[in-house]
Amino acid sequence: MTTAHVDTTTDDGGRRLRLAVVGEVDLSNAGAVEDALVAAISNEATEVSVDLGAVEYLDSAGLRLLFSLVSRLAVLQISLELVVPFDSPSRRAVELSGLAAVARLTPEASPPFS
Amino acid sequence: MAATTSTGGAAADRLRDIEALTDAGLAQLGVEDLLSELLDRTLAVLGADTAAVLLLDDSGSQLVATAARGLEEEVYQGVRIPLGRGFAGRIAAERRPVTIDDLDKADVLNPVLREKGLRSLLGVPLLVAGDLLGVLHVGTLTQRHFSASDVDLLRVVAERVALATRAQRADEDRKAAAALQRRLLPDRLPTVAGLESALRYSAGGQGDVGGDWYDMFVLPSRWVCITVGDVVGRGLHAAVIMSRIRSSLRAYALTSSPDPAHVLERVDRKIQHFEPGEMATALVAMIEPSLERMHVSLAGHPAPIVAHPATERPGGGTYLQLPVDPPLGVTQWRQRRATPVDLHPGSVVAFYTDGLVERRHDSMVERLAQLCDAVTPDEPERVCITVMASLVGQERPLDDVALLVLRRTELGPAEPLEMTYPAVASALGDVRAGLRRWLAEAGASRADTIDVLLAAGEATSNVVEHAYGPQGGDMTVRAERDERSVVITVSDRGGWREPRGTNRGRGSGLIAAASDDVRVDRGPDGTTVTIRRRLGRPPEGRA
Repeated sequence: MTTAHVDTTTDDGGRRLRLAVVGEVDLSNAGAVEDALVAAISNEATEVSVDLGAVEYLDSAGLRLLFSLVSRLAVLQISLELVVPFDSPSRRAVELSGLAAVARLTPEASPPFS
Repeated sequence: MAATTSTGGAAADRLRDIEALTDAGLAQLGVEDLLSELLDRTLAVLGADTAAVLLLDDSGSQLVATAARGLEEEVYQGVRIPLGRGFAGRIAAERRPVTIDDLDKADVLNPVLREKGLRSLLGVPLLVAGDLLGVLHVGTLTQRHFSASDVDLLRVVAERVALATRAQRADEDRKAAAALQRRLLPDRLPTVAGLESALRYSAGGQGDVGGDWYDMFVLPSRWVCITVGDVVGRGLHAAVIMSRIRSSLRAYALTSSPDPAHVLERVDRKIQHFEPGEMATALVAMIEPSLERMHVSLAGHPAPIVAHPATERPGGGTYLQLPVDPPLGVTQWRQRRATPVDLHPGSVVAFYTDGLVERRHDSMVERLAQLCDAVTPDEPERVCITVMASLVGQERPLDDVALLVLRRTELGPAEPLEMTYPAVASALGDVRAGLRRWLAEAGASRADTIDVLLAAGEATSNVVEHAYGPQGGDMTVRAERDERSVVITVSDRGGWREPRGTNRGRGSGLIAAASDDVRVDRGPDGTTVTIRRRLGRPPEGRA
């Protein structure tokens, strides 16, 4: 079984959220990771930062959930940035996927989570 | 109803009838069927209306109705009589015959006897060599005074019933214990990429199985666990305790942190609470997902033998000098210890139970030295053959012998890897773990590894999602290295289906981008994807 969990940090009374995914994401757990991310985002949130720095493996199943998260948050008018450090294992898949065209991609989290 | 006193000549005739009871034909019957047969004869011989056998339960405190004639409901209702109480309980407690001439005036616990309208009863204890097995009683619907010769006759019957019951029970227990052991102990160990394994199990003693066990399983965290142990005692009881300990080891390994000392502490508490008085030695080894280290904790169990390919002791293994904590079930021990042991590529570890190294007339030290000599950094199957030939040889061991041998595979740069898994999503992590280890051995850099895992991960995910219908199938992943590249092939034996759903179909683009060459061969017998990736490829097109 592939495992991953989501660590949540909030700021500004819950309006800013940092969601760090830790572990591996593949076909077997992408659904569970998506559920965990969505559950962590309350309706009060205005800015969400998803940090993939601690993701050891991510493939198209994980990209699929990120794309779906991008469109869901766009509808809710919640801004989304994806934090993917240059040397992190998921960087390659994220770059190849074209996620950068639909979401803000950054190697480092912006303040106050940096 | 026959209510007359038996004469000597008639008694001899009756005895001949009983002789026929214990003939060879009955040996095939189970305890219940055998008793039913014997009771039919008993009714005829004594001219009684009912007959029943109550056997002492395992706790030795209650009699359980096991077979009856004319009183079948006693058995159907699972009648239980505490020792010392009522008619049967008194016979068992006092170990002597009891007669009741008139049931109306007697102390009888079991309502079935009254409801049946029984008037007189005679019961005798079932004894073998002074051990109480239970009670045999007969009853009549009309009032009858059972004579001294009736008592003697029933005693003779009881003696035969007791002997036959005990023999049959012992036989059943032996068969059940052997079956339990056979079912519980896996004859195939799980496949773990990077580990080879082999095992031997041999029942020693007089064909009576003991409480030895071995087990190997992979946790969701991909730690590999080995448990080996020995419950004190023999027979069905030891086998049952063994099965409980073995499954609680699995349960605690699954739910606690990957620390064998922790697992043993919990199992120890469980045994002391739920199985007081039982004792077992046990070894728990947990191998890290990288296979580079194993952590071992010993509960009164001998330490494993380890043989490394390049060792200070060429050819043979070493008895690991590890701290030994008390066996399970004896003391409130709270600080069990686990020791890390390095596993190098090619290292062999032999786990065993003490039946292998204990033998009359030989010293344990000598036997251990012999075992160390026999454990070489060789194929596990071959190590098993050598160890069993050297230590067991031609003599039946006194005790059970369990032996489990593992080798961390030596992956030379040109040595290919092949893994077959069911095409299910939960196998994807195992495929990656196997590939990660192989890529490290093959000299792949971090960037190479990320790309190869991504390409192979996409190809295997495709098999999981598209190759098979609901009946499922297997996928095989091969990895080979030539001079400058690694070649990964992913094959299935299913048919191809176009991707369904939204946000799909990104996989093939990723495979192409993460590799230098991809070939897809689709045939009627399945699909093979061949991915080639040059090692040390300059990072092109990266941000």
